[in-house]
Amino acid sequence: MRYARRAITIFALAALAVTTGCSVEKDGGDGGTDASAQCGSGKEFLIGMSQANNAEPYRQVMNDDVTTAAKSVPGFQVVVSDAAQDNSKQVADVENFLSQGINLLIISPNEAKPLTGVVKKAYDQGTPVIVLDRKVEGDAYTAFIGGDNVAIGKAAGEYYAKTLLPQGGKVVEISGLPGSTPAAERAQGFREGIASNPKIEIVATQTAEWLREKGQSVMDAMLKAQPDIDAVYAHNDPMAEGAYLAAKAAGKETAIKFTGIDALPVASGGIKAVEQGRLQATFQYATGGREAIDLAKKILVDCTKDVPKSTTLGTMQITKDNAAQAYTELGGKQ
Amino acid sequence: MNPPNPTTVAASPPETPPRRRAIRLPKDRHAIVDNFFRFQSLFGLVAVFLIAIAVSPSRNGENVFLSSGNLANIVRAVSEIGIIAVGMTFVILIGGIDLSVGAVLGLAAVGSATLMVDSGLGIVPTVLIVLFIGTAFGATQGAIVARLGIQSFIVTLAGLQAARGIARMWSGGLGIPIAYGEGPQEAPEAFSLLSGSINGVLPVPALIFLAIGVGALLVLRSTAFARHVYAIGGNEKAARLSGVPVRRVRVTVFAISGLLAALAGIIHAGQLNQGSPNDGAGYELDAIAAVVIGGTSLAGGSGSMGGTIAGALLLGILNNILALNNIDANVQLVVKGLVIVAAAALQRLRPRIA
Repeated sequence: MRYARRAITIFALAALAVTTGCSVEKDGGDGGTDASAQCGSGKEFLIGMSQANNAEPYRQVMNDDVTTAAKSVPGFQVVVSDAAQDNSKQVADVENFLSQGINLLIISPNEAKPLTGVVKKAYDQGTPVIVLDRKVEGDAYTAFIGGDNVAIGKAAGEYYAKTLLPQGGKVVEISGLPGSTPAAERAQGFREGIASNPKIEIVATQTAEWLREKGQSVMDAMLKAQPDIDAVYAHNDPMAEGAYLAAKAAGKETAIKFTGIDALPVASGGIKAVEQGRLQATFQYATGGREAIDLAKKILVDCTKDVPKSTTLGTMQITKDNAAQAYTELGGKQ
Repeated sequence: MNPPNPTTVAASPPETPPRRRAIRLPKDRHAIVDNFFRFQSLFGLVAVFLIAIAVSPSRNGENVFLSSGNLANIVRAVSEIGIIAVGMTFVILIGGIDLSVGAVLGLAAVGSATLMVDSGLGIVPTVLIVLFIGTAFGATQGAIVARLGIQSFIVTLAGLQAARGIARMWSGGLGIPIAYGEGPQEAPEAFSLLSGSINGVLPVPALIFLAIGVGALLVLRSTAFARHVYAIGGNEKAARLSGVPVRRVRVTVFAISGLLAALAGIIHAGQLNQGSPNDGAGYELDAIAAVVIGGTSLAGGSGSMGGTIAGALLLGILNNILALNNIDANVQLVVKGLVIVAAAALQRLRPRIA
């Protein structure tokens, strides 16, 4: 293996040659770019929207909300990038936006820690940054807009306590991905909400990891274990729909009431399921897309200096009474 | 397992592939055509680079694509895939495939974060342990392929699942953030240099990719090991009969792939300040794409490391210029698919000149 030894020597020397004599620096904002164009009306603004994963319906609706809202602001042009759930890709997406010289960044981060650096870089360069739905660490951003999952869970709980099961009853909970913050908060809020009605009992909690097909299989199993279920509280609409299908297969879809969360204004979303009678109610988890563009308009067009650092979005209870109206209001296409 | 009469067996090239079509050209034009196909990915790289300059948007009169910041972003973005693709090239050259690299990257990223943050180890022991895990994982897969004779596609598909599972168990299913400092639950500050740049220009991951790429290029040019790799990929039986230690080379090749995937995982954790069990999902496909664009045949036995490096850079430039021009994310996927098919089709057109 004389050749191998020679090759390893060459390799080592080459590696040594390229690594010596250089200083390694941490990348900071180089401040060389003039991203913060002058604000004011009658100007053109390029807004970069960095999305974590277009494949999730909720995030697709968020993109649609951003682009639709931006169309009504003269001079706003929005470009959307999709990180396909890859932190590295999202970092590169934001870098590419900065190379292009966007005037404002809207980002819905895939995960907090890996995106914190590049968001800070943009912010330090003077590009206003609006963070949507999921936070980044620290405070190097202009504004955060997101929903309050505890409040949503609580609204659902109160609906159970007062409207759905005022006489009390047995509830099974189908929860989101274990360990995820929204799942924990939607569970906690629900318990706060039903506290006023001690006759409501959560007889089982099972996870379906946000997925419709798992909602179905989990419900199958629970129907066998729990003979008389009064209602199913699912942490999102797809799982509620899955549970409904399982109950229908067992001929119990009218005896059991189903509720979900999210209320996306799309054909496969929860609002349509309420309108068509499969779900009793769903609770909106707002995307914040419209609110982000409102804020962008304040920053770029109206030159507002102090915008709120954090905006918590409210929820909307959707039942058969207001489903059709809510669908149109939230921008759903017929 | 020595052949009874070794003089009658040719090692490599074992046999000349049949001519695909009769191309009658004068001898010097043969050379031009042959060189064009041999350096196909390099020509492709230059072409894509020139096109990118031409179609790049400009900002304040400056070509955005050519700005030093943007070029640094490109090489930074391709470095992880590039390092994996280098290992993948060895595997594909022996006629195998390694689907586990993305998952091993994730495992290594989780390992780096856990060992430094939770176990309080320093950088050197962490890196050594993680590289060892990657190498051992790859070598195990290689041994299963070599000893049990199962196709590498299946073994590494199983390895992909196993590595993801181990990463999820090790991390508890969630990403492990890396905070820097001296205290407990903090990683040494120097680890964050992986997200830094040399003299503020050349990103550290790109430098590591460069060193690995040049090293692999030299290894593949001038070592007995490389000749064994090509011989196995060309005709395994002939290689074995002429005394090539086929099993040992197999295991080594998969070990190299695992080692480089683990290295990419360490870089990944250093760049993103986090080790997450889902890191690197789908990276194996990008790495295979880089190798294919680089002109290496999935059948094994023919291809080059230079091609792979050029292929990785080509993909990086393509991603970048599509993004700079705000091409819709879905359209980007289609374009990348077309480029891969085009590169493979070009290989099929390559005239076989004896």
